[in-house]
Parts: sequence; C-alpha cells; structure tokens
Amino acid sequence: MSIFEYNGSALVAMVGKNCFAIAADRRLGVQLQTIATDFQRIYKMHDRLFIGLSGLATDAQTLYQRLVFRHKLYQLREERDMKPETFANLVSAILYEKRFGPYFCQPVIAGLSDEDKPFICTMDSIGAKELAKDFVVAGTASESLYGACEAMYKPDLEPEELFETISQALLASVDRDCLSGWGGHVYLVTPTEIKERILKGRMD
Amino acid sequence: MGDSQYSFSLTTFSPSGKLVQIEHALTAVGSGQTSLGIKAANAVVIATEKKLPSILVDETSVQKIQLLTPNIGVVYSGMGPDSRVLVRKSRKQAEQYHRLYKEPIPVTQLVRETAAVMQEFTQSGGVRPFGVSLLIAGFDDNGPQLYQVDPSGSYFSWKASAMGKNVSNAKTFLEKRYTEDLELDDAVHTAILTLKEGFEGQISGKNIEIGVIGTDRKFRSQTGLRLVSNGASKQKVTDKWEQKICMVWKLDMLLKCHVK
Amino acid sequence: MTKQQANWSPYDFNGGTCVAVAGADYCVIAADTRMSTGYNILTRDYSKICKLADKSLLASSGFQADVRALQKNLEARHQIYQHQHNKQMSCPAMAQLLSNTLYYKRFFPYYAFNVLGGLDNEGKGCVFTYDAVGSYEKVGYSSQGSGSKLIMPFLDNQLKSPSPLLLPAQDAVTPLSELEAIDLVKTAFASATERDIYTGDKLEIVVLNREGIRREYMELRKD
Repeated sequence: MSIFEYNGSALVAMVGKNCFAIAADRRLGVQLQTIATDFQRIYKMHDRLFIGLSGLATDAQTLYQRLVFRHKLYQLREERDMKPETFANLVSAILYEKRFGPYFCQPVIAGLSDEDKPFICTMDSIGAKELAKDFVVAGTASESLYGACEAMYKPDLEPEELFETISQALLASVDRDCLSGWGGHVYLVTPTEIKERILKGRMD
Repeated sequence: MGDSQYSFSLTTFSPSGKLVQIEHALTAVGSGQTSLGIKAANAVVIATEKKLPSILVDETSVQKIQLLTPNIGVVYSGMGPDSRVLVRKSRKQAEQYHRLYKEPIPVTQLVRETAAVMQEFTQSGGVRPFGVSLLIAGFDDNGPQLYQVDPSGSYFSWKASAMGKNVSNAKTFLEKRYTEDLELDDAVHTAILTLKEGFEGQISGKNIEIGVIGTDRKFRSQTGLRLVSNGASKQKVTDKWEQKICMVWKLDMLLKCHVK
Repeated sequence: MTKQQANWSPYDFNGGTCVAVAGADYCVIAADTRMSTGYNILTRDYSKICKLADKSLLASSGFQADVRALQKNLEARHQIYQHQHNKQMSCPAMAQLLSNTLYYKRFFPYYAFNVLGGLDNEGKGCVFTYDAVGSYEKVGYSSQGSGSKLIMPFLDNQLKSPSPLLLPAQDAVTPLSELEAIDLVKTAFASATERDIYTGDKLEIVVLNREGIRREYMELRKD
C-alpha cells in the first residue's frame, strides 16, 4: 500500500463567483484503523488563503509548520500578505527542495486575490503545479471526488450554492472510500467573510 | 578564514565611536562622478556624468547605468569595479527571489538585500567597505521608487537625490526645481539641467547617461534608447512608453538647446 | 545461459465502464463502446452489453476475451435451460447462474466485472452486481469497470439506496422515471469520460421494460 494512503484523506477545492470553497474529511486513520474523527487537514495561512494537505499526516503537519514559518517571515519582511499564486510557488519550491526524499503530501491551495479573484491549485508531492479553473481534488478519495465534482460542478456558483455543491460532492465521495470520511470540514470564503462549517456524515 | 589573528574586521571603531573606513568610503563616493535621481509622478529618472579619462576611450563601452531586473535600474557614484560586485550580487538576489515566488522582486526587497551586503562588508573580516553609493530606481506595485544606498549599508527613499562630486549644489538645485506633480519629460529636463550645473566642460550625449522607468515597468537606459533616437530602427514605434521616450530622447537635440 | 523468466500473463485489461439502474417497471443497462489495451484504443465501437435472455442483459468490462468466453458459456447454459424447461430463464435465475459460473473458475477466474440488469417475474427492474469470482448482490443501481470509482459516488448521491442491513429488506428500485434514469446515466458517463481514459467514444444504453428492449446511443468524447 502506498505511503500516501497510510492515514487516508479527502480534499477538494472549488471556485465560485468571487468566492471559493475548500473542504476535507475529518478522519485520521492508521491503515484501516480509525484514530481520530476530528482531524484538521485544512489550514488558514491568512484571511483569504487556505491550504489543505492530503497524504501522510506527519509530513503534512511538518510541511505546514515550515509553510507557516516561511509565510510569517514573508509577512514581516514585506509587510503584506502573500498572494495565492506566490504562495503556491513557495509551496512548490519547498516541495522540490526535497525532490529525492519528498514529503508524502499532495497540497491543495485555495485563495482570493486582492481583486477578489478566486485561485485554486494542487500539486504533486514534488511540487508540479496544476492550476485549474473549476475544481481540484486530492487524497485517497480523489477518484471518487473527480467523478462527483465532474458531475455536480457548475461555473459561477453563488457562495451558498457552492457550499451545497462541495459538501454533496465530498460526502458522496468519502462514503465510497474506506480510508476517508467521518464527517467533513468546509471553509467557504467570500470577499467579506469566512464561513467554517462541520458536516455530519456516515460514521462507518 | 577565522584562524588568523588578523581575521577581525579592518572596520573597527575609533575611540570616538566612528568607523573611519566607512567615512573614507564616503569620501571616495564624494569625489566620484555626479549621479542623480528624480522620482516623478509616474516615472523615475536616474542620470550620471560619464567623464572618460581620455578621448581615446570608446565611450560606447562604458555603461554606468545598469539593469538589476527588468523593472529596476541602478547607477553608482564612486568606484566602478566595486559597483559591479554589488550589481552581480543584487542580480543574483533578484533572480533567487523570482525563482522562489515566480514574481518580480519588490524594489524595497532588493534595496534591503543590497544594503545588507554593503553592511556585511563593514563588519566582516578580511574585507573593506564598498567605495560606492547606489541610486536604485524601480517601479512595482507600490509605484515609482527611488532609493539611495550608502557604503555603511544605510538606505533612504528619496523624491530626488544626488551623490558624488557637487552633491550639495546638485541637491540645492533639485530642491528648487522639484515639484510633486513632475512628469517624466520635466524630470528628464531637470536631470540634465542639474548635471549641467556642475559639469566641467561641454555636456553632450556622449558624456552623460540617463535611465528611465515608467508605468510600463520596463527600465530603459540610454544605450538601449540610442537606437531609437538615432532612427537606427526604422520600425514604427507603437508602444506608448517608447513613443514618450522617443520624444524625450532626441537627446542630442535636447542637449543642444540646453547648451545653446 | 541467462536465466529465463516467465513474463507471460494470460490476462489483459480492456477497460470500459458499465452502469445499470433498476426502476419500478424498467431497467436501464448502459456501457461505453471503447475497447482499449494500455494506452491504445483497439476499437471505438465494441458493445459490452449482451442479451442473455428476453429479460436479462449483461454488461461486462475487464478482459474482453474472458468476457466473450463467459457470454458464450452462459448462452450455452441458457440454451440447455430452454430445452429442458421450455421457457426463458428469469433474471434472478440468470444472476445465480452467473455467480456459479464465475465461482466455478475461482482459481483461474474470468477477468470480468459484470452488471446484470433485467426484469424479475413481476416485471420489476432488478440489478445484480458482481466481483470477478461470483460474489454478488441485488441492488437498485450499480457501476462496474474502469470508471466505476467516478460514477458510483454520483449515483449514490442522486439515488440514495436503502441500507441492505435494514429489516425487513427494503425495495432496492430507484424512484426515478425511465426517462430520468436515462438522463442520469448519460450525465454519469459524460462525467466519467472527462477523467477516465478507458471510458469514451460512445455510450450504448439498453432499456428493458414491459414493451420489450429499446436501444439508444449517445456520442462521448473521443480523446
């Protein structure tokens, strides 16, 4: 079994009209055994920039700590928040530093630019970026998520519609993946506010 | 390095609390050729004298204004060779920044990094301070910017500044001529006039150098522009900034009217 | 002489996706018509749906040589059944036969992933879904093959099946009308085709109802 599937995860981000949503499951497992059902794998870098880290949890947490460090340093040095594109490039560069001994993580980055333009992106464990206009997925449930998102996604959704779509896609997908699930965690980000919601799902 | 008992910095404090090496470096700058910079409302102009030791020197081979990034240019007063070290290090820093973030380095960042290098050379063992002051002109998300960096590693943001020989005269002149709403064309005129003030001998397109950056965020130095002004390129100039600069850069014509 | 290694494998994988949806008085069985091996497309027009009996349709992906062998076997068994009983085999009977046939080759399986759709003796739609060695379940809808992972969660979301653990056993048929079911299947395939390289070219939909059998086709992406 791949090391990427050791802990299990499901991550998805979607673009709406002047907004975005990023969602993840809440399970932390060790192979088939569930360890925690309130695990956080989406992190807030600043008010309009989020990163979700799927894959090996220990690497995800270590990588997150490094990213926080680099981001804080940038904020102090440049007296501004990082643009989503810039942050994606930073993540990519940090991952590629470990080209031959990678962090076993697949990040999903979502943010709003200064002009309120949503940005989403994912990359592999060594930093090859994939910039998508509609949605990005990652984790052990990625295949299910691709199917669900492909069928449910529509462009230019209003925030609440986007929330409904991403939640339905996530819950439908994790129920067909043994390694992810136990509810969901959704962030809905608009130019004016961040809505964080916990989804109840099947607990089996 | 480090083992020798002489590996301490040559730049040590005098009992009165001064670092004489830095003062000497500033003296070297003060006796260097005059450079100046003006921040206009929508652009920055930097200019310098380019006096050559002999008429036999091919003046086209001397370039005192250089590019650090496509949107940041630099000019120095003081020791030419020292400036090249700084230019090399600054360019590398800018490139590293770009490599990490895939976005052009902000002017403030590059200025700080360059200043840090200059500071390091006032405190490290086996080195001396740089014998140059730099004027760094750039245009980024924060608009047009003009910075001066000194051998000590201190840096300042200016609306207009001068360095080298005749600083005080040049600065007084600039103080009189400067207004907040200066346009590019006026700024170039002012720059040339200021240089002309302290100029020994006949000023011409061959013994001064000018660099400009405007809202298109493309730094252009004279060498690049001469092609345009000489009409070497017969292509129609469509770019808005190119057109502006073409107008300003009938440099020789311009100078003639100044010189009279 | 250098050591020779056995590197021959009796199996190939030809891709393809199958879906079946059962309704109150109909059954929709669908599959794409692409047949591939590795990164090559062998043909864009290969039917994966086989009519085993008047009210039993089998859609299979996997290794099409095995699938073909399996179909011929079932056809032969059905022929014998007709001679002995003088009637067509019912869909649930065919489902059990298919399971037995697959398990018969438990230690050298048919590399085939099947969905059997049809109408039961009351004319109600029924769907049976299988693994390669004959484990099967009666469900309201199912998907098998290369795109099943993409399609299944979508069908779950749209058709919410009752838990099989409920007592008394709940009816598995979907609440959709025949036309709604066909539309749903089309959407599911259009989506799967976007992301699964083994699914595409054309969608073959077979609808089984009181009137008999009806076939429909829909073009899918060809890349």
